[in-house]
Amino acid sequence: MASSELRKLYPWFIVAGLAVGGLVILAFYKDQFREWKEWQHAYIKQEMARATNEAQRAAAALIPVEIKQIVLPDVGRIDRCTTCHLAVDDASYSGFKQPLAYHPNHAQHPFEKFACTICHQGQGLAATREAAHGHVEHWERPMLPMKYIEASCAKCHLASDISGAPKLAKGRALFDEIGCIGCHKLKGSGGVIGPELDGVGARRSPEWLAKHFRTPAAVTPGSAMPPIKVTDEEIDALTLYMLSLTEERLDAYYTSMQVLPGPEAGQRLFLEKGCIGCHSLGGQGGKVGPALEGLKGRRDATWIAAHFRNPQATTPGTMMPKFDFTEAQIRALTEFLLTKTEPGAVNLLKFPAQMTPIERGKAVFKKYGCAGCHGRDAMSGVPNPNAKTAQQVPGLKFVSEGYNKAELRKRILGGQKEINKLNPKGPQPPLYMPAWGGKISEGELDDLVEYLMSLLPKTEKTDF
Amino acid sequence: MLKKLWAQLLGTRIGRSVFRVGLPASNLQRAQVAISSFLLHMQPAKVHQRTLKFSTTLGLGLITLYLFFILIITGVLLMFYYVPSTDLAYQSMKDLEFVVTAGMVLRNMHRWAAHLMVIFVMLHMCRVFYTGAYKQPREFNWVIGVILFILTLALSFTGYLLPWDQLAFWAITVGSSIAGYAPIVGEKIKFILLGGHTVGQAALLRFYVLHVVLLPGAALVLIGIHLWRVRKDGGLARPGEPAFTQEELPATALPTTKSYGLMELAHGTTPAVGVEPDDEVFTWPNLIFREILVFMLVVVLLLVLAIFWNAPLEEFANPVHPPNPAKAPWYFLGLQELVSYSALWGGVIVPALIVVALVALPYLDRRRAGIGVWFSRERKVALSIFSICLVTMIVLTIIGSVFRGPNWSFQVPWKPNIVAEER
Repeated sequence: MASSELRKLYPWFIVAGLAVGGLVILAFYKDQFREWKEWQHAYIKQEMARATNEAQRAAAALIPVEIKQIVLPDVGRIDRCTTCHLAVDDASYSGFKQPLAYHPNHAQHPFEKFACTICHQGQGLAATREAAHGHVEHWERPMLPMKYIEASCAKCHLASDISGAPKLAKGRALFDEIGCIGCHKLKGSGGVIGPELDGVGARRSPEWLAKHFRTPAAVTPGSAMPPIKVTDEEIDALTLYMLSLTEERLDAYYTSMQVLPGPEAGQRLFLEKGCIGCHSLGGQGGKVGPALEGLKGRRDATWIAAHFRNPQATTPGTMMPKFDFTEAQIRALTEFLLTKTEPGAVNLLKFPAQMTPIERGKAVFKKYGCAGCHGRDAMSGVPNPNAKTAQQVPGLKFVSEGYNKAELRKRILGGQKEINKLNPKGPQPPLYMPAWGGKISEGELDDLVEYLMSLLPKTEKTDF
Repeated sequence: MLKKLWAQLLGTRIGRSVFRVGLPASNLQRAQVAISSFLLHMQPAKVHQRTLKFSTTLGLGLITLYLFFILIITGVLLMFYYVPSTDLAYQSMKDLEFVVTAGMVLRNMHRWAAHLMVIFVMLHMCRVFYTGAYKQPREFNWVIGVILFILTLALSFTGYLLPWDQLAFWAITVGSSIAGYAPIVGEKIKFILLGGHTVGQAALLRFYVLHVVLLPGAALVLIGIHLWRVRKDGGLARPGEPAFTQEELPATALPTTKSYGLMELAHGTTPAVGVEPDDEVFTWPNLIFREILVFMLVVVLLLVLAIFWNAPLEEFANPVHPPNPAKAPWYFLGLQELVSYSALWGGVIVPALIVVALVALPYLDRRRAGIGVWFSRERKVALSIFSICLVTMIVLTIIGSVFRGPNWSFQVPWKPNIVAEER
């Protein structure tokens, strides 16, 4: 016996009850229909269609519909990409449309060690296309476009060593050649005019970087940086190299592959470890150890490798010390010794001691990124608005006419912070000559001065 | 039909053992329903007619209570998935979103219920003030209410950190630095709260323990006392209720030759005793049904919010990359706005004054005018002061929320000052 007043509330109870029930059903209904389930059903359908006998069909019917993930405890990553990309390791799916395509060439990067996001980036924990590919708000590392994928190689490998990453090597070489280091600091060395580049790949998007190389002022108003005049392909290579500068380094298993066994790495090691002090190549070097020319004819790979592991084992009583090389380093050195020590190939090697001061000076010019402002080969500089020197950083062709060696040394060491203005009332020219004192070594400075003094073509030399 | 089935179930031995009283058919049984049930005995068997009217309270306290229960239920469910570690907390959020069945709805419900609870606690306080319901004999219950208000803010604030994203990390960094502005003890308080000088693993664990054990436990006990006091202080405040008396019977006044029932020993009279019995109705079903209806509506509102709007989750917390501007949770933005003028005023004096003033309010405002009446004309001064403070705080909060851009510069929400660079 409820009062009539209470009865008036009954419709409300019915409405609220239906609403609660309906909303709970809606919540679970929405939850049941997840994107990845559709792809798993598509995969099962495909497997069913391919089945040629009853047993295969039965096996396909038993494929569970579930979230799949690859856990990488060493690096604290969980990638759920294979929830949709179900056939990445099934070669019979090559040429299929995504997400059911096969992933070729992963023999050296097995999924159980690398999963997906180490190379491709994106959001491994997500299980919807948009979120997983990372093109959503609040996810900083969306998937790398395929043309930049080689940037990820640098997480484990040294950028200069990878024969499988030509674009990365090209970008790095270009970076050195253009002289970016003259203004930008990277890994502790470089100029001070521009911002440091450590970790720039994690801070900037590929689009930003490419735009920035073409017209720096468009993305960074007031930037002193001159536009980089290179081809589109080279812009891509530079962008790729920048994207590789993430400061993200993987530990344990992954660092063991830092030096890739290959002749280039072997050559670098050969120079670094000072092998030339005892051994000679092309007639240059020490006489303590045997000459290495034509080694291929005398020794095989097994012997050389064993020799590196323990010299006494292969040559009892030898003076050669035991170096603590990793296996990868041993393989690299061995490959170098077997390929680059042919009588015809040794000329490719140039050791600093074999070079003339002018050649070494040119290397110094490149090392400190002087080209970044003074131009490649020091011939013409980049724009420097409102500088008295024709609104440009001066080229260095005629430097020997204006300076003697002592003056030039002083100029390089001290720099010139205040650049003379073209229009005295105009703004300060953005680029200036940094002081290289304390950064450049005495020997390097000698060589650099020699190089700069040599720039004036002989025919144009004038005597006053 | 359903009713018949229910009646039959209650008639069985097992049914009788669970529910002492069946579906009540008489007034006696209606009273017994309320008295003999653990969950319902918090309320008297009969309540005043006024209690049933929606405009008396707007259901604000009740809604707050429901939100608290929903928060406990959703919160316990979330605890099955959440790991309070700086490495795994953020991953727990992603798991809830992408893997756990209905995980996102669960987290959304918890998040929105938390914000709503802060709002409804504030609205409930305003209702009690504007109806003069904190006056004698309800002064102390108001004080308990103020403590519950602070506990609610603390619960929300500690929960804010747990997702361990940029929003969480920097809101707590800003919020806890407001605490650090207090002279002498400020830094110490901040250190104790965070377990260090910055927000890190120690802070996350402290906030987690506070959020899931200490604060909800304290709130639950105080809510119990708060509701108990509502009943013991004579139910809802109403105009013309008899003045509270507390005459003590001297022990000598009682004959010693007789043994006493407890009723006879209780001193004083509570306002509900012996007056206006005709204006009272049975709690069952009149009040209970309305309460259930309000609960259903709250659940509907929360489900709609949770299904269609996702709780925010920003980037993984990055201690070296603060957003610009870094903002505290919205209920502290009024204070943060004040801090931008003066750290001492915004961080110490104003919040201390607010708490002291709220606690002291029922002891300062002792006139018995306007009890149980919305915006009584007899309380012009009190109403004006409270309203001015309230409006000031709301305006400051709105300025802090939407009119403050990068570097805390003034901006209009539809034309933000952008200094954030394109990535």
